[in-house]
Amino acid sequence: MKKKLLSIVLVSAMTLSLVACGSSAVSGVSQDQQGSDAQQTTADTAAETTGEGSGSDLNVMLETPVESLDPQQATDGTSFEVIADYTDGLMQMDADGQAVNALAESVDVADDGLTYTFHIRKDANWSNGEPVTAADFVFAWQRAVDPEVASEYSFMFSDIGQIVNAQDIIDGKKDKAELGVTAVDDKTLEVKLNCPVSYFLSLMYFPTFYPVNEAFFEKCSDNFATSPETTLSNGAFILDEYQPAATAIHLTKNDTYYDADTVKLPGLSYQVIQDSQQALMSYQNGDLDTTLVNGEQVDQVKDDPAFTAIGAGYLWYISPNMRDVKELQNLNIRLALTMALNREAITTDVLKDGSAPTYTGVPMDFAAGPDGSDFSADQKKFEDVCRYDADKAVEYWNKGLEELGATSITLTMIHDADDAPIKVAQVVKEQLETTLPGLTVELQQMPKKERVERMQEADFELGLTRWGPDYADPMTYLGMWITNNPNNYGFWSNAEYDKIISDCTTGEIAMDPEARWAALYDAEKIAMDDAVIFPLYTQCNAELISTNVSGIEFHPVALNRVYKRAVKN
Amino acid sequence: MRKYILKRVVTALFTLLAITLILFILMQLMPGSPFNDEKLNEAQRASLYAKYGLDQPIIIQFFKYVGNMFRGDLGVSYKISKNTPITQLIATRLPISIGVGFAAVLIGAVVGLLLGLLAAFKHDTVWDTLATIISVIGVSVPSYVFALALSYQFGFKLKWFPMLFSAKDVLGSSVLPSISLSMFTMASIARFTRSEMIEVLGSDYMLLAESKGLSGKKLVFSHALRNALIPIITVLAPLVVDLMTGSLVVEKIFSIPGVGSLLVNAIQSNDYNVVIALSFIYSAMYIGIMLVVDIMYGIIDPRIRVAKEGD
Repeated sequence: MKKKLLSIVLVSAMTLSLVACGSSAVSGVSQDQQGSDAQQTTADTAAETTGEGSGSDLNVMLETPVESLDPQQATDGTSFEVIADYTDGLMQMDADGQAVNALAESVDVADDGLTYTFHIRKDANWSNGEPVTAADFVFAWQRAVDPEVASEYSFMFSDIGQIVNAQDIIDGKKDKAELGVTAVDDKTLEVKLNCPVSYFLSLMYFPTFYPVNEAFFEKCSDNFATSPETTLSNGAFILDEYQPAATAIHLTKNDTYYDADTVKLPGLSYQVIQDSQQALMSYQNGDLDTTLVNGEQVDQVKDDPAFTAIGAGYLWYISPNMRDVKELQNLNIRLALTMALNREAITTDVLKDGSAPTYTGVPMDFAAGPDGSDFSADQKKFEDVCRYDADKAVEYWNKGLEELGATSITLTMIHDADDAPIKVAQVVKEQLETTLPGLTVELQQMPKKERVERMQEADFELGLTRWGPDYADPMTYLGMWITNNPNNYGFWSNAEYDKIISDCTTGEIAMDPEARWAALYDAEKIAMDDAVIFPLYTQCNAELISTNVSGIEFHPVALNRVYKRAVKN
Repeated sequence: MRKYILKRVVTALFTLLAITLILFILMQLMPGSPFNDEKLNEAQRASLYAKYGLDQPIIIQFFKYVGNMFRGDLGVSYKISKNTPITQLIATRLPISIGVGFAAVLIGAVVGLLLGLLAAFKHDTVWDTLATIISVIGVSVPSYVFALALSYQFGFKLKWFPMLFSAKDVLGSSVLPSISLSMFTMASIARFTRSEMIEVLGSDYMLLAESKGLSGKKLVFSHALRNALIPIITVLAPLVVDLMTGSLVVEKIFSIPGVGSLLVNAIQSNDYNVVIALSFIYSAMYIGIMLVVDIMYGIIDPRIRVAKEGD
């Protein structure tokens, strides 16, 4: 009995000491995180605004949780959207997706296009009261290329942005201090490029290029951007409710924002809802002002004045493996396959979400040329090689079979195990098998991760895939099909194509917008004539946006939704 | 008894270690990797692997992981919440799952017990049939169907309770998910209570107790129910772990920021550390509950206690 008593006492003592340790550790962290007084003030003002705010918050549905609020680590659209709610870059997007000055009040571009000098606004401040300086950009950009940080979007600085030394730093050959970006003084940032980049300014609204305050970052150490206390705002809103992988996120209007007069919403409230039925009911209940609608729900709501289709930029296409699959090396077989696809039927009968049939290698509505027109506005330019024509398809098919000396072909198509790809793959199989005699298409569905891995390793025959634009230039697609690009899933190689792309990137025509635009058309034609990909459709998202809400700006590139100018009555 | 518990605890620790090793091996077999975003090139992927130590041999990774685990470090998330320490991720989410799960267990056990008792005492009457129908529905209809139906009826139509979980109204917004989750427990408990009670009520010692003049409450609670509880606890134990570790589907439907939805997202994005940490916690809870059950057997049934002390 005594022993029993003793053990009970010991156990309770241990438990108590554990509890004590736990609580002191917790309070230690929270003290740390609350940090400076300035940070506290921000929280206070935020609370005040909520109290006296005119109108009410905009309630927005998110399909997936935020992956990271660290601008140099984030890679997904949801994270970018939330980061941009409370952070401005040197440039921001206007309603049409054009780059307009934000933290930069002016930019000087050298005649050779190799030096950009940004002058940062005097009234741009962080929410802890400190000014936004050129050093904040230098710190953030060096982080983005630092191999230790291993930012997934570092290629925006090297391949795409062509900033001096970016590639060498990423490869570990040079120190990050050698990156071609310098703080001339507190408010002047100078960027040096390897070659002229015609769309360089439009990269500045991409969150990987957003500034980070070094002192604040060091203070948060490993916890940077994991809670409202460890994020700093310099944008339209201030984050005041967030935890990692949160299902609810809240932001309040930033009254100290230099452009605060433009911001009409008192706050933004995000709710992650992964069940589409719950999302629709929450919208109908008035708990949400906007929500995504899936293909099955479209019929229910398509007459609602709030129903709308928003371009999402993604091009869905089928990639044939031309390296290892003998049948797909045959051009006639490839042309037969692409001509046997009835894209119209896929978008109107199956997807029903406003997605648009696409017959070009670059999707519609994201890249405007020197004259302001859309690069892919003309969907008939490759009619000879990419359209729905069953008779022509059979003609190519028979010719191809003859060349191969075969009477029947079996092809396997891999696709993602998600709603839309499953449906699309089934229709594609049916269309191809009905139109082309002797063809059997076997479908294999798998998680997206696995599908991407298999396509990169050429372990597939046909692959249903998609690509979203990273910046507003056709190069974000055309750059993919150069020899040895990891996303050139077809393992296609064409010297003439490679040359045009390289000329447009670093050659003489890089700084001549008209000539470059024409050359990009030529490149696209080479790829389409060779049926390197079978484009299917440009994805749209069907959404409900309450009729008393206006001014939400939708973009297929970088920032999918911008709320700065949104109004809710 | 103490020796018995000690032996069980040591076995449990080794079991957990073995589970961790198996999890590590299973992760290697999972297709894909956390870093195969199509926008990454070969060099970038290699540097990400190096950054998180995934380029090292599996056995070294395993020992490092176990070593860190003893220091309370479960690593960081690679994907679903980049670079966030997993302890931080779980610390905010586990209490929510446990809260909702515990409410579900409580509702399920109490209502189930009452239903079972009702059915047993009103054996072969309309009450019995009614209770049986309810249990059959509860066992056979999946919880997400209840979740959607409850959400539609009481959230959307009647607006009695919020349709989605909200940190501002934890109690109110936990009602619908807890009830949806409790249905299976309730039905299982009701069925077991009924059959056990019918058996116990018909046994000789009950007849003896009754003939000694005992009646009413004392008869039911200290003689009948006590004996019927043993199998019920056996059924309840795994259900408790199931519910407290978060339901994958119900958490998704009600947007509950719990560990169930976290695990699904982690598996889908190959976030190894999160999958290992959560599976480890599930296993630990399961083994822990089993231990508690064994001890509870002893308290409820002295015969088991005596038998074990004799070991």
